Amino acid sequence: MIHSNGNNGYGNGVMTSASPTTTSLSPSSASANGQSTQQQQGLKTYFKTPEGRYKLHSEKTHPPGILPYSHGKSVSQITLAHLKEKPTQAGSASSSGASTSSGVRYAAARLLGVGGGNGSRALSFVGGNGTSKAANGTSRSSSLAASNGSHSMLNSNYDGKGTYMIFNVGDSLFVSDLNTQDKDPIKSLHFSTSNPICHSFDPEAKDGHDLLIGLNSGDVYSVSLRQQLQDVGKKLVGAQHYNKEGSVTNRQDYRCTSVAWVPKADGAFVVAHADGNLYVYEKSKDGTGDTTFPVVKDQNQFSVAHARSSKSNPIARWHICQSSINGIAFSTDGAYLATVGRDGYLRVFDYQKEQLICGGKSYYGALLCCAWSMDGKYILTGGEDDLVTVWSMEDRKVVAWGEGHNSWVSGVAFDSYWSSPTSDGTEESVMYRFGSVGQDTQLLLWDLSMDEIVVPLRRCPPGGSPTFSTGSQSSHWDSICPVGTLQPAPSMRDVPKLSPLVAHRVHSEPLSGLIFTEESILTACREGYVKIWVRPSNSESQSSNPEIPVGNSSKEIPPVPGKTGASSYKSVHL
Amino acid sequence: MGAAGSKLEKALGDQFPEGERYFGLENFGNTCYCNSVLQALYFCVPFREQLLDYYANNKSIGDVEENLLTCLADLFSQISSQKKKTGVIAPKRFVQRLKKQNELFRSYMHQDAHEFLNFLLNELVDILEKEAQVVKSDPETSSPSDKIANGPKNAQANGALKEPLVTWVHKNFQGILTNETRCLRCETVTARDETFFDLSLDIEQNSSITSCLKNFSSTETLNAEDKFFCDKCCSLQEAQKRMKIKKPPHILVIHLKRFKYIEQLGRYKKLSYRVVFPLELKLSNTMEDADSEYSLFAVVVHVGSGPNHGHYVSLVKSHNHWLFFDDENVEMIDESAVQTFFGSAQEYSSNTDHGYILFYECLGSTSNKS
Repeated sequence: MIHSNGNNGYGNGVMTSASPTTTSLSPSSASANGQSTQQQQGLKTYFKTPEGRYKLHSEKTHPPGILPYSHGKSVSQITLAHLKEKPTQAGSASSSGASTSSGVRYAAARLLGVGGGNGSRALSFVGGNGTSKAANGTSRSSSLAASNGSHSMLNSNYDGKGTYMIFNVGDSLFVSDLNTQDKDPIKSLHFSTSNPICHSFDPEAKDGHDLLIGLNSGDVYSVSLRQQLQDVGKKLVGAQHYNKEGSVTNRQDYRCTSVAWVPKADGAFVVAHADGNLYVYEKSKDGTGDTTFPVVKDQNQFSVAHARSSKSNPIARWHICQSSINGIAFSTDGAYLATVGRDGYLRVFDYQKEQLICGGKSYYGALLCCAWSMDGKYILTGGEDDLVTVWSMEDRKVVAWGEGHNSWVSGVAFDSYWSSPTSDGTEESVMYRFGSVGQDTQLLLWDLSMDEIVVPLRRCPPGGSPTFSTGSQSSHWDSICPVGTLQPAPSMRDVPKLSPLVAHRVHSEPLSGLIFTEESILTACREGYVKIWVRPSNSESQSSNPEIPVGNSSKEIPPVPGKTGASSYKSVHL
Repeated sequence: MGAAGSKLEKALGDQFPEGERYFGLENFGNTCYCNSVLQALYFCVPFREQLLDYYANNKSIGDVEENLLTCLADLFSQISSQKKKTGVIAPKRFVQRLKKQNELFRSYMHQDAHEFLNFLLNELVDILEKEAQVVKSDPETSSPSDKIANGPKNAQANGALKEPLVTWVHKNFQGILTNETRCLRCETVTARDETFFDLSLDIEQNSSITSCLKNFSSTETLNAEDKFFCDKCCSLQEAQKRMKIKKPPHILVIHLKRFKYIEQLGRYKKLSYRVVFPLELKLSNTMEDADSEYSLFAVVVHVGSGPNHGHYVSLVKSHNHWLFFDDENVEMIDESAVQTFFGSAQEYSSNTDHGYILFYECLGSTSNKS
């Protein structure tokens, strides 16, 4: 009874309210498009920041009139993928992948190297109850085939170039072309037995398989995105299947919560599950060997077990915690892996050494998402305490709490393309820009200034007292955190608070993710509706041009704020 | 129903908690408001234990007149002493007593679970206070050292009841709010304490309990029609008012104001807003520094689209398992299923199961141990 209610509640609102406007829209006029949709929802199509206006450029969602069937409630997530050029020989996935030059990786890394570092962002609130209604798959797929005739045309003309966005809704995975104003996806893939929950794209993939898909059932697939785009069908083609029907995971709650390629690891990837385990796979391996792992001895302790056989895939199991792992993120260099979970803890691991480095607890409640700064110095987390937490790797402590969301924080990311307008290499201007989205339907942007955070946090000259703390009782700043220990929740008065620079209600549904690209900010809601907000341009005349390509990759790599900040950051607190 | 019981037993298997009983409650025609609250109270372990203690003490006295307290104690003791681990019980005497006591609950009309909870707690307190006064007038049974009224035997004696009696019901549920009003003319701050058994919170679409609590404590300006009478200025003045939690309760009961009177319609309307509640919570709007952590252990859920009809069920956490109580039926559910009761992000939705009363217990506090 509970389950059926959850299912019935799924997505009704957005689809009914969005489809009438969708059909009447002309895809070429983005601004008119946005306004007509937004007026009825009372949402603005722009928001102001000190550097200018961010404007709604386009929207992406699943095809109108098609309500993807859902095997239980699942939350939409977005992944960006950049494909540069058409493969020299069309055909097998491996040859197309091999032909992509290093230039592809460079450009793609630039587009994706934000936040999670791999373009994937995990959200916890996948409430997969594992319910399975008898699917009326046959009737639905036939109607799909009819209505999607135009899309298969598109697919045959597909030139293999561009920036794509992958998102899941119900039992389907959709691929949209970010370079067009087209609201509808160019590709939809259906999963008959379980919902896709999480996905990750590898810009550095050496052979064809660059897209990972994790399912509610615990199954994982790796495929070539290019190959999917070339195919006209609704099913995955050329997929490799891992953890088939839970052959590896066999505990009750084994749904996938997050997948990620290991940066610079040539095809290794990790899959986090709701049972608190994370598995390491290598895509080159078949996984025909023994895939069982010894029983976890102490459920409360972090432990790593390696496969008994060298043929096995997965090659290792990390037991991280007893409850669900809600999100994972690799640092850009791949050295560290951060996880957040139901137990409220952020954990940071040295990936190569398989060791817990540090971590700490939320103020209260589960943590839902995490992201690294480009320079690997800070980690953002968001969760059920409505706070955006800034974790310092150097201090191994929480250094700031962002207060501003009116509900749970479901997505966080650093904006690595942003540089302080006054940035001239002087110490005062060391800043990070980051964003967060929440179940309050708001996008918040934040500035993290080193002067505000680092200085008060450090001890003042001998004799002085900390400038922010109310007294000396606080142990949060005094204690040194040994490597490998987890910090308890700090108390409210111990942590400096940040206020958002901008708070903007971007959707009418709770949000699930955000991605910064060089040209824009992408926001996604739980029901699979994505908005693309174009950054303010230097001159307003430029920004009035509706033909700004979103996924344009022909520009120079932007300065990474963290890099210029590295030296001055140190000097602030010396 | 016997089969349903064994199904639950099977589901729990060897994890069935020692000594625990999971019993459904029979519905006597629109008494789900009562059943859902009773289940939440039964799985409020400190309350249950103290009620059973009281019952044990009271039995020895023997001829106490039947009242809601004895009926409730009777019911809880009946459940806890069942031979079977699962099954169904008819809370007949309790419901009869309730209907006798309060005409509001006499009809077969749909009742409000929050009103019932409020009535019940206040009634229990009244009964305990009356008993304490009877004991007070009987000097032989007085025991001045014990300030806690746990049954008539150890009530506060010594005549001078200057402070209101603190019963075990108070010890569990009572918190203190401070209502601070600052006159904008003379700047004088008037602080008035009030006690509460639950917090009734205004809700907003797509918000969290944390945010609703923040709004509850936010500063409100009293002006225009709604001025404040300042004792110092001896006149109505503009003022700023805010509510702070002075003493957080051991059991924090949060009531979401989902039934709102809409003046234009001339009737109540149910707000199906999506209000998320975390399984762990801290109160940051307290006067004390201690950020004590609360853990969610029960949710009374209103099912239905309108205020005057519908159904109540409850979710209960017992020994780290979540259970779903729907009158006679008891099922085990996954912790992640709790999120399906948050409400709807859109106004018109087929999901009508909404968390209505939340029960949180303070972790790591022993204030209730008497």
